[in-house]
Amino acid sequence: MIVKTINLTRIYRVGSSEIRALRGVNLGLEEGTFTTILGPSGSGKSTLLHLIGLLDHPTSGKILFRGRDASLLNDRERRRLRLTSIGFIFQTFNLLSTLTILENVELPMALAGINPSEQRRKTVRLLEEVGLGDRLHHRPSELSVGEMQRVAVARALANSPTLLIADEPTGELDSRTGQEVLDLLSRFCREEGVTVLVASHDERVMKISDRAYRLLDGVLQG
Amino acid sequence: MHLTLLSFRSLTRRKVRTTLCLLGIALAVTVILSVGTTTMMYTAALREMNTFFQGEVVVVPRGSLFIQALPIGGLLPEQIVEEVEGVEDVKEAVPILVLVNLLLMEGGGEIGLSPLVPMNITYGIADGRWKPLVGSTPLKAEMWPIPNLSEDEVILGRYLAERNNLTVGSEIKIREYPLKIIGILETSSGFLTRLIIMPLEMAQKVYGYHMLINMIVVKPEEGTSEEELADSIESEVQGVRALTTEARGELTEPVFRDVELWNLGLRTTLYLISIVLVATVTTINISERRKELATLDAIGAPKGFILRMVTTEGALIGLLGGLVGILIGSIVSVLLVSRYAIVPVTTIFRDLLNIVQPRIALEILASTVAVSVAASALPTLLALRTNIIEALRSEH
Repeated sequence: MIVKTINLTRIYRVGSSEIRALRGVNLGLEEGTFTTILGPSGSGKSTLLHLIGLLDHPTSGKILFRGRDASLLNDRERRRLRLTSIGFIFQTFNLLSTLTILENVELPMALAGINPSEQRRKTVRLLEEVGLGDRLHHRPSELSVGEMQRVAVARALANSPTLLIADEPTGELDSRTGQEVLDLLSRFCREEGVTVLVASHDERVMKISDRAYRLLDGVLQG
Repeated sequence: MHLTLLSFRSLTRRKVRTTLCLLGIALAVTVILSVGTTTMMYTAALREMNTFFQGEVVVVPRGSLFIQALPIGGLLPEQIVEEVEGVEDVKEAVPILVLVNLLLMEGGGEIGLSPLVPMNITYGIADGRWKPLVGSTPLKAEMWPIPNLSEDEVILGRYLAERNNLTVGSEIKIREYPLKIIGILETSSGFLTRLIIMPLEMAQKVYGYHMLINMIVVKPEEGTSEEELADSIESEVQGVRALTTEARGELTEPVFRDVELWNLGLRTTLYLISIVLVATVTTINISERRKELATLDAIGAPKGFILRMVTTEGALIGLLGGLVGILIGSIVSVLLVSRYAIVPVTTIFRDLLNIVQPRIALEILASTVAVSVAASALPTLLALRTNIIEALRSEH
C-alpha cells in the first residue's frame, strides 16, 4: 500500500468557530490503482488530497506514506517527497506564467537535479504524450484551459512520481476536454503504473476508477 | 534550468513591475548620491579655503574679519608693511589687496555673479611673492615662480578661464584697463580656480585703492612660533589684528562643524527614506507573487532555492537600479555642484570622478543591492511560512 490514512481529522479554526473538514478518514491506496473521491463541493475532498499530498498537516490522525509516518518527516523531507514521489494537479493548474510550457515541465526535474539533456528529452516526450509537442515554447497565457491542464499533468509526471493526485482536474474544462484529461490520467495509471488519486464531482471518473469513495461532510463512505 | 535564468526570466516577463522597481530604486539612489555629494563637496570646498597660509600669521585691520582666506571689512595703508617687517622674528611680509565678487569684463561684456560663491576674487599681490598663496600649483604656459608680472599682466584660475573661453595670451578688460593673461592656474581648488592674480599696484589702480591693502601674510623666522609673532605684531603695530593658523580656524570651525552635522543628518534621513522606498518596492513585488511562490512550494522546491531565486532577482534589480541611479545621480551632482558649490565644472566628464568619488558610488551601490536583497528575502521568508493552500487560493 502506497498511502494509508488512519483516523485523519482536519479542523479549521476561523475566529472562535471550528470547521470540521475531515472526521476520522481511513483510506488506503494500493500501488498502481486509480482511486476516486467523489463528493459535493465543501465535502472535504480537497482537504483530504492536500493532506495526502503533504501540502497540509492533519489536526489529528496519521498519514503513512509507504509505511512511514508523514508527521515524523521534517519540512525538507516533505518537500523532497512532494518533488520526487508525489505529482499534484490543481484545479486551477497553477502554472508559472513567466515560463514557457517547456520550462514549466522542466522545472521539477531541474529542482530534483536531473541533468539538462535528460530534462529536455523527457519534457519533450511528456508534452508530446499530452498532445502539446508543437507548443513547447508557448507561454501558459497562450493556451486554452484544456491545454493548460494537460501541461499541469505533464508537470506532475515530470519526476516519475509514484502517486499522482488530481484535485478536480476537469472542474474548469468542458466535457470533451475533461474526458481527454481523464483518459490521459487513466493511461498513465495503466501504462506507467502510477497510482492516481482523483477528487471530483464528475461522475464520469467512476467509469475509469478501480475504487471510488464518497466523502460527505468530512466522512468517507466506502 | 539555471536559477539565474529563472530570476532573469521573471524580471523580463514582468516588464511594468520590473521597470517600476528599477525606477524606484534609481530615484532613491539619485537623491542620495546627488544630495550627498553636493553637500559634501560644498563643505569640502569651503573648508579647503581655510588651508591657505598654513604656518603663517595673517595681519588684517583691527575690527575686520578674516574668513576662509578672505579679509572682510577695513583697509590698511601700504606703508604699514614696513612696520610689520620691522617686528623682530618676521622673515617676510607680503602685502595683499583682496577684492571679492567683482565683475570680470571680457571684450566689453559683463559676467554676472555665481549664486552662492564669489564669481571671482582678485588678489593684488606684491611682485614675485606668489608662493604663500599658490604654493606649487602648476601653471599653464609657465611654471612657478614666474618672472615678475609687468603691470598689465594677470594670471587666471582655470574656472574663470574656461568659463569665459580665455587662454594664455587672451586679453581682458577690467574697469576699462586692458590686461593680458600670461598664465592659467591648473588647479581644481575651489578657491584658486576663481582667482585673478595681478600685481598689487595694478589692483590698486584698477579698483581705486591707491596705496591701500587689506591683509599682510607674515612668515616667521625659523624657531619662532606663530603665537609669539602674532603677539609681537599686535603690540608693536597699531590698528592691526594678527591671526595665527589656529586662530583663523577657530573663527570658522564651529560653523563647519554645524554644517557637517546638518549634512550628516540630512544624508542619514535621505538614506533611511531611500531604504524604506527600496524595501517597500521590493516587498510589494514579493507580496504580489505569493501564489507563484506557493506553487514552487507545492511542487517541492527547496526553501533555499525559492529564497535564492527571489534574492537573485532583488540583487539584479538593486544592481541595475543602483547603476542607473548612480548614472543619473552623477549627472545631477555635477550640475548641482557646478551651480551651487565652488568646484568648477566646465566639462562634466573630466570632473566627474572629483565630484562623485568611485568609493562613495560603490558604497551606495553595495548598500542598495544589500537592501534590495534583504527586502526581498524577508517577505519571502514570511510568505514561505504561510499555509501553501491559503497562498495558492490568493489572487496573485
